[in-house]
Amino acid sequence: MTAEVPAAAATPEAAADPELRIARLSGRVAALEAALERRSRELRLLQRLLCPHDLAQWSRVAAGLSPRPRIACDPSFWEESRELTAAEVPETLEALWESSYPPRPAPR
Amino acid sequence: MSGSRRITLVILAWNHWRLTERCLETLAATDLDGAEVLVVDNGSTDETPERLARVSWIRTLRLPANLGFVRGNNAGIAAAAAGSDVVLLNNDLEFIQRDWLRRLAACAHSAPDVGVVGCRMVLPDGRLLHAGTYIMPDTSWGQQVGALERDVGQHTGTEEVEGVVFACAYLRREVLDAIGGLALDFESYFEDTDFCLRARQAGWRTLLCGGVTLVHDEHGSTADDDGALMELFQGSRAIFRRKWQHALEARYRHRLLWQSIMNFPTGYAMSCRELLRALDERGVHAVYRYVYGPKTVFPPVEPESSGDYRLNVIRGRAAPRAPEVAVVYGQGDVFARNLGRYKIGFTMLEVDGFPPEWVAQANRMNEVWVPSEFNRRAFVDCGLQRPIHVMPLGVDVRYFHPGVASYPNPAGDFVFLALFEWGERKEPSLLLRAFNDEFSAREPVRLLCKVINTDPGLCIKDEIRRLELRAAGGKVSYLFNLEFPHYQLGALYRSADAFVSVSRGEGWNMPLMEAMASGLPAIATDWGAHQEFVHDRIAYPLRVRKLVPARAKCPYYDGFRWADPDPEHLRHLLRHVYENRDESRARGQAAAREMAARWTWEAAAQRIVDRLAALGVAGGAGSPPAARAPVAARASGAA
Repeated sequence: MTAEVPAAAATPEAAADPELRIARLSGRVAALEAALERRSRELRLLQRLLCPHDLAQWSRVAAGLSPRPRIACDPSFWEESRELTAAEVPETLEALWESSYPPRPAPR
Repeated sequence: MSGSRRITLVILAWNHWRLTERCLETLAATDLDGAEVLVVDNGSTDETPERLARVSWIRTLRLPANLGFVRGNNAGIAAAAAGSDVVLLNNDLEFIQRDWLRRLAACAHSAPDVGVVGCRMVLPDGRLLHAGTYIMPDTSWGQQVGALERDVGQHTGTEEVEGVVFACAYLRREVLDAIGGLALDFESYFEDTDFCLRARQAGWRTLLCGGVTLVHDEHGSTADDDGALMELFQGSRAIFRRKWQHALEARYRHRLLWQSIMNFPTGYAMSCRELLRALDERGVHAVYRYVYGPKTVFPPVEPESSGDYRLNVIRGRAAPRAPEVAVVYGQGDVFARNLGRYKIGFTMLEVDGFPPEWVAQANRMNEVWVPSEFNRRAFVDCGLQRPIHVMPLGVDVRYFHPGVASYPNPAGDFVFLALFEWGERKEPSLLLRAFNDEFSAREPVRLLCKVINTDPGLCIKDEIRRLELRAAGGKVSYLFNLEFPHYQLGALYRSADAFVSVSRGEGWNMPLMEAMASGLPAIATDWGAHQEFVHDRIAYPLRVRKLVPARAKCPYYDGFRWADPDPEHLRHLLRHVYENRDESRARGQAAAREMAARWTWEAAAQRIVDRLAALGVAGGAGSPPAARAPVAARASGAA
């Protein structure tokens, strides 16, 4: 999604010539700033277009975690409440099993 | 199929060739075993006559004009093969079972007094449309059993019903010979219930053959004009009322004021609904009044609708000024609100005694009912001086049986299911620890806990965290604070392999009974009211180490005891059920058979009807059934 920013070359000549080194570092800073700008645009776009649940899912997957289960079948995922929520058995069980046996995230 | 009896299928069609075509196409793909197919063209003005003429395997009867549903069907019956049984069919049906006709015929000839047989019908979107009909004299508005519920395999057995819709009705020749065809009082609507009631008067039963399901694109042939439809409906309704009102009212043999709780998610409310339904079906004219509310132990005002037509009618009935007999079904500290001249208090509790206030109020009743011998003994031990009768509760085996749909986990893990409200009595920590310790995460087994918590003083996350369950131990999943439609719970049970209830005490234990009726092998604490229906040939009783003081937030338990289930035995039973699949499956199946044979709501209601009959409670106003003054101290296990 985000373009890689090339690392500043660390050649013996660059180390010996401070001006060249500064120019290269300045170029890298500019590239990083541009990449950051692109990344911010992407995040703003995601924030605008995705619902909070999908955003959280995307963030977890991007961080290398398994997606949040479709149903809070584990206490760490549910919001403690004293209210009962109406639900249907077929959909609940489908979500439960999918969440209990989640696909493993692809190795990074 | 039905011996040598011939069968004529009469399909009534009026325009809408597309529907008729689909009906015939799907019908042709089923086993008709030589049955004749007669399509009655009820004066169609579209392409129907021309298209029917091209179908070689049917006989067509062309009527000169649209004579309506009744006369059109009667023309078909009259034209049916001599001496044949007749199956009336709408043209907006779709056949999805190859042997549907064989099953219907077998059902129709399963006993000499079966006269009419209908079947399950589902809408094209899969929702259940029909599993029999009933009409209450209060409104004369026909109702379809199970209508618009999701199809989870409910009503798949054979049931005796009041009526069936004649979109599909198998009529035995003997009934037709005895009572004739559809009554000409009606043009359309109510003729089917009328026929079933006339058949009943002549000694013929109506059955629902739940083994047959058809798809019904309801009103496919009449949906064009809603106004005309309603006019037709209301006209027929008025005729039906004039004809049957008296007979429908006369079927009530007993009258009763039933003071209880109905429209809240509590055990009393759920069982109250089932009892009222079953009592109504068995000829008890019950009037319902909410027994709780402001200035009682449960102050909330009750919501008006139960979501069930029959119960709403019962709730809407005017209460008599001085009811002959009233039953308060609820906690013993609301017995004093009983409005009857003959007062019955019906209650239960989960410990080995009853609070003094309950006993005091119970002693002001004419008699007391409890669902179990367990509670009868406890009441007597606590000083009850009134007659006491055991009136067991039941289970609806139309919704809880081994044939209900299941949604098993894709990994094939063995699933133990537990349903409980988090609290001291249900002892969740015992179950969670035992399961987590007994199994390892690598084993293909899982405990699924459906947990409810409405206590603001409890945080279930923290409670579970405090148990420090091992990550390497048995896997546990939770369904937290979810409320399923009760009719779908059978599908939850059927999606598990075994049921566990390790509570310290029970007043009845409805989920356990439902799970057993659904065919699950169940592990259950061997102490409490459920011992009434749990034993070691159909379940796995869990040993109790001793009785211990009942310490809980519930003040009713103060000073009494309940069970201390044995954790080691629980681990042993969990492992045993898991490793002995054939044995445990057989035990679950035996449980289902026993629940269906002995513990239905019909059986529970019949006990009450028998008691009312013994008291001399009649359908109309009359003298009180027994002395109003308390009689001498007496306690009997009359049940």
